[in-house]
Amino acid sequence: MQDILRQNNADLLREIRLLRERLEEAATALPPELQPFQNWIISFCDQLQATALQNLRDLNLGIDSILGNILSETQVLTRGVRLFNQRLVGPVLRARESDRLCLKVLRWIHSTHPLTQHIPMALSDGDFASWPQLNWPTIYFMPPSAQHRLLYLPLFFHEFGHLLYACHEPEMDELVKALQKVIAQFLEPSAQRDDRHAQSEAKRRSVIVETWYEWAHELFCDAVGFQMAGPAFAYSFSMYFRVLMRDQYHIRPEELEHRGHPVTWLRIKLLADHARRMGFGADAEVLEDTWSKIAATMGIVEDYYGFYTDGFLPSIRQTIEDMIVEAAPRAFEAHEASAELLRIDSAATTILPVQLLNQAWRKFLDNENVYTGWEKKVIEDLLNNKSLF
Amino acid sequence: MSIQWLSVQSFQHNQDLLAAINKLSIHLRLQLEGNEDAERAGEANKARDMLSSFFRELETLVKDTERGEEVPVLGANPRLRQLARSFVKAKRNRRRFHSSLFRNGAGRFQQLLHSTKKEDSEALLESLEELRVLVEEHMHVDAERVLGEI
Repeated sequence: MQDILRQNNADLLREIRLLRERLEEAATALPPELQPFQNWIISFCDQLQATALQNLRDLNLGIDSILGNILSETQVLTRGVRLFNQRLVGPVLRARESDRLCLKVLRWIHSTHPLTQHIPMALSDGDFASWPQLNWPTIYFMPPSAQHRLLYLPLFFHEFGHLLYACHEPEMDELVKALQKVIAQFLEPSAQRDDRHAQSEAKRRSVIVETWYEWAHELFCDAVGFQMAGPAFAYSFSMYFRVLMRDQYHIRPEELEHRGHPVTWLRIKLLADHARRMGFGADAEVLEDTWSKIAATMGIVEDYYGFYTDGFLPSIRQTIEDMIVEAAPRAFEAHEASAELLRIDSAATTILPVQLLNQAWRKFLDNENVYTGWEKKVIEDLLNNKSLF
Repeated sequence: MSIQWLSVQSFQHNQDLLAAINKLSIHLRLQLEGNEDAERAGEANKARDMLSSFFRELETLVKDTERGEEVPVLGANPRLRQLARSFVKAKRNRRRFHSSLFRNGAGRFQQLLHSTKKEDSEALLESLEELRVLVEEHMHVDAERVLGEI
């Protein structure tokens, strides 16, 4: 057994050293925005190496009673190296000059909050997602085509919401717990029975209440998206999902159980509600009308099968507001989202990402034919002007 | 938009738990065999703190879970809820899980963690070994989501 473990740890050590060499080679051509991430993964690499060396030292003790734990440590290390190899080194080894658009926006987003300003971040290909963990850099995933455009960059703000949740997790969990209690009370029947039907109904209510943990988390991230990026977030979110699949509008009741996200149509309704309460009534109406028209064309009638009713709305609003107060994301300013942005011709002034992304959406909605040329020029200006954001 | 955040957080949390279990176990075993192992004493204490704080969180969820499926477990993410359910199931499976942790619960485990008695160290080692099995089985889902399958 000792020889087997020695072989695996020595092989892991070789793999870690090889990856470290590749990372150092890549450092010379790295976009400056990725430097903090590069520093972090080099130090993570050193930690992995230290674990492999410790395992080899422990094996050299020749004590049989600890072999089970060294095996487990080797398994932990193997998974750690695999994660490192598959997911963490990619953003550095595959870094391109064109990543800088997303990296600049992400770096700015992180810089807006005291708890995230020192957290390194990186960009990777994939559907919109993030890996938000404390004591780790945050990896943001984005489909390749979206990385070269402005219109879907606002979705990063939702992902940033996951990081803010992680930064305030105990307080957030308490707020969500309080919401779950209110929903449980709301669902409680007026008369209690004690038979099998009542038991099965109680289980169903329990599933609904538990599902709201995940849903509240996602709705908070949507609210962070709107709070930080304004209407640009709402339009981006709506456009990304509205013609994707039928299940953005309707999901069968059994599939709603413990589902990671609320039905997207419901998210749009709540996003529109948030927008309306922040004074963007016209944008809210556009969102709701768009989704209603598509749903009507598909013959879909809105139904959440008890997982949501309008009776939940006041408590959901209050909880999300409390969560926003707790997390305190940077709120967009009126001039960064106003319809007046259409009149600004160039982004090559002192402009922040939020203003630029709202300007992009206003221009796109105003005249999508001239939008493409405008977007190309703005991105070029942005990448050439190091002082922006 | 996927829920990778949940899988990766749960994956890393379980990796950290396993590392803590192993560090403390190796330290205790070396001590029981008469080795001082001063080098690892600091890490072993950090592992104790981590396990202690993990069980404080899990204990509340386990209590809620034991009230039955009709009672929701509140304020916890689905992976942690699942771990609490697996823990409750393990407590009922005396054939596989018979250490002090699963017989006497998290309260006694907390005492064992900080005891210096030899017999307590042995009971703690047995508990840590079974906890490791539980966590390894639980993290399978996260590992598959984060690392994929070959």
